[in-house]
Amino acid sequence: MSLYFAEQMVNGLILGSMYAIVAIGFTMIYGILRLINFAHGDIVMIGAFATLGLVIARLPFPIIILVVLLVGVFMGIVIERVAFRPIRGAPQVTGFIASLAISILLQNTGILIFTAQPRNFFFPDYLQRIVNIGQITVRVLDITIIVTSLVLMILMVILVRTTRIGMAMRATAENLNVARLMGIKIDRIIMLAFAIGSGLAAIAGMMWGGKYGQIDPLLGFVPGLKAFIAAVIGGVGSITGAMLGGYILGFAEILFVGLLPPSFSPYRDAFVFGLLIIILLILPTGLLGRKEEERA
Amino acid sequence: MELKNTKLFFPILIASGALLVFLMRAFMNDYILIIVNFVGINIILAVSLNLTNGFTGLFSLGHPGFMAVGGYVAAILIFPAARKEMLLPELPRWLAMQQWPLLPALILGGLCAALIALIIGFPVLRLKGHYLAVATLGFLIIVRVLITNMEKYTRGPLGLNGLPSLTNLWWVFLWVVITIYVSWKIKHASLGRSMLAIRENAMAAECLGIALAKTRITAFVIGAFFAGVAGGLWAHLVTAITPTSFSILMAFSLVVMVVIGGTGSITGAALAAILLTLVVEILRPLEEFLGAYGISEIIIAIGLLAILIFRPRGLFGSSEPSFLVKRKKTPQGSEAGI
Amino acid sequence: MLELKNLHVYIGKTHVLEDLSLEVKLGEIVALIGANGAGKTTTLMTISGLIRTRSGTISFQPDMESSRKEISRRKVEDIVSMGISHCPEGRQVFTTLSVKENLYIGAFQRRNKKDIKDDSESVFNLFPRLAERMNQRAGNLSGGEQMMLSIGRALMSRPRLLLLDEPSLGLAPMLVERLFERLDRINKEGTTILLVEQNASMALELANRAYVIETGRIVLSGTGHELSDNKEVQKAYLGLT
Repeated sequence: MSLYFAEQMVNGLILGSMYAIVAIGFTMIYGILRLINFAHGDIVMIGAFATLGLVIARLPFPIIILVVLLVGVFMGIVIERVAFRPIRGAPQVTGFIASLAISILLQNTGILIFTAQPRNFFFPDYLQRIVNIGQITVRVLDITIIVTSLVLMILMVILVRTTRIGMAMRATAENLNVARLMGIKIDRIIMLAFAIGSGLAAIAGMMWGGKYGQIDPLLGFVPGLKAFIAAVIGGVGSITGAMLGGYILGFAEILFVGLLPPSFSPYRDAFVFGLLIIILLILPTGLLGRKEEERA
Repeated sequence: MELKNTKLFFPILIASGALLVFLMRAFMNDYILIIVNFVGINIILAVSLNLTNGFTGLFSLGHPGFMAVGGYVAAILIFPAARKEMLLPELPRWLAMQQWPLLPALILGGLCAALIALIIGFPVLRLKGHYLAVATLGFLIIVRVLITNMEKYTRGPLGLNGLPSLTNLWWVFLWVVITIYVSWKIKHASLGRSMLAIRENAMAAECLGIALAKTRITAFVIGAFFAGVAGGLWAHLVTAITPTSFSILMAFSLVVMVVIGGTGSITGAALAAILLTLVVEILRPLEEFLGAYGISEIIIAIGLLAILIFRPRGLFGSSEPSFLVKRKKTPQGSEAGI
Repeated sequence: MLELKNLHVYIGKTHVLEDLSLEVKLGEIVALIGANGAGKTTTLMTISGLIRTRSGTISFQPDMESSRKEISRRKVEDIVSMGISHCPEGRQVFTTLSVKENLYIGAFQRRNKKDIKDDSESVFNLFPRLAERMNQRAGNLSGGEQMMLSIGRALMSRPRLLLLDEPSLGLAPMLVERLFERLDRINKEGTTILLVEQNASMALELANRAYVIETGRIVLSGTGHELSDNKEVQKAYLGLT
């Protein structure tokens, strides 16, 4: 039982890492624009397909990571520029609907190019190799996912907490107009938030493909929504909150499936969304979020 | 804003609509009739969603969830008792024996949807803006998960097929008329005014003493009722029902209709429903011909983005066409103005 | 230094500033006084570029050597870099950032680390309370301290012209007096100030010149003393009869 439990914990850690990485972008964009970006999850899908293409092209793995990251960054910038910038200042709901439209657009472009059929996803053999840590068996890939996520998250915290640009991001998230009065070019900050967030999401797509072994154009929707839930748990707008929320959600989901009788497993998503609704109602600011001032 | 000759206008409109239905049934082929039926059902959905989304600013993505509830309830009630034994052998005895006609089943389906709206409405409607949207999306997903797993009643992911083909244009027409009439009455009665007030400024409306929660819930419940009815009509038009029928894509298309029509405008929502259904139906053969699946969604999504960017108030604004209502000249501008 | 000519500004459909003209000369303290909703804050936001004009010109000349430039179509960040710093109404410090970070973000466009450090030292000199709380979150400061921080932050861009929006709002009378002494000192050290105030008596005492704004129009102008002696101003803004 304890071995089983330990293996479940590793699974939770992997799932949580991926949620956390996606949630960071979600929460950054929300923090600055108060925009729930539904299309964020579809960047995960784009990242997964980009990875598959590059693996098939037999590029060296470090280059694959770099290119996938850049693909995500590029997509984020394009989406912000083309769709979100023109409607900036419109009511929140407009942005939300626009992001839904972009999500549908990306998914169906994916279907158009790759068809809706799931494709097998594979990584080079050395990543598939199995290693034993104590009595637990894991793949090299699993460890890579956990470590890469951790590194990315530490880099994010350093960026946001200690650098000049991170300081500007925090200031912009708190008060957009006053940030402009400080001479901060908020267009650049917003673009940067989309770029970083989408780059991370694309990397998460790479992990997602590796973890589940199959990808299809609609795969981004669920991680996108779950990342949103993770962000809500942590407190939308808080980057450390998003990471924490990602891990909490990952573990909660794995525990729900792994520890309850199997007849409960199909209700996994219902559980997750039920959890979301409950958290929204009893703890709307999440674990680490700030209370938002109400505007008339 | 006052209604212009409503007493005369509505009967004329209904009569000419009925004449149109009669002529179409006489002269159109089945394929076109089915499309017209879809148009009608989408009008019911868009107009009833507009009641919640457009009038009160409550942005609900849960509409297909209510549709699913109404659809399944109606389907189980209507399904011939003899065939139920085969298809759903584990159904409780009292339910297996039911074999209802269409109309009462539709109404009960609608009522079930309304009841669920009432139950989830109390907690969920306290949320604001996009939090509400996400919560209602969560509701849609939960409904789907539950339907998928209640195999005793729903056959799970397989869904129910071979439903009797009971929906025809007369039934759809009847419900279109009822939906539009009820929405119209609500929009122009005090309830509607308070709903619009909530959309414009929730805080100010609260200060004016409108029982905010009550109005919101009422709108939500009425909208859910019609969605449930539409679900029943839909199920007995396509003669099958599965959990995946009620997708997020469907929630999206409904929102698109409301946005294109101009939030708050009944005529706009109805016209947008017609427009969008026809666009999809025209694009579908093209899609199949080219083998380019997904192209119609892409076109619709781009169209929606263009509207959000270039015509943020929708194609029609939130007002009704001037030949239907006459406006009092007010300097502040009515709902259409600001 | 700064000249606003025939400004017309709309917010939505409301005509907020109607044909507004005013001038600030190099080295002056100019006060803009008026009732709530008269358009004082809008005037400052228009100067700093947060709100766009419908028509009219805003020209700015940072010092005698530079040329006069039309700025009403410039971006906010360009206006900051030309030497205008806007200290917004209601303090609006970044509550999640530390005091030090708030000051550093005020100097966001500057690169020379040593200069920035020196300038933050002189802000601490001006407001010693801030030095004690350097590493605290700005959200934990008292209202008066936040005001000091807000002004200090605005000074960090080394502005030639400082736009101050209601610095006395919500402060105890004694604090207001001390604050106005500091403003005088800032001005003596070479920063021109355009001050928006509801506390008209203090503002007129401090200012070289002043304008009275009513429903988006300038209705009176003169030196600070002229206006404090004016019967109408006394009645409407100074509470004297």
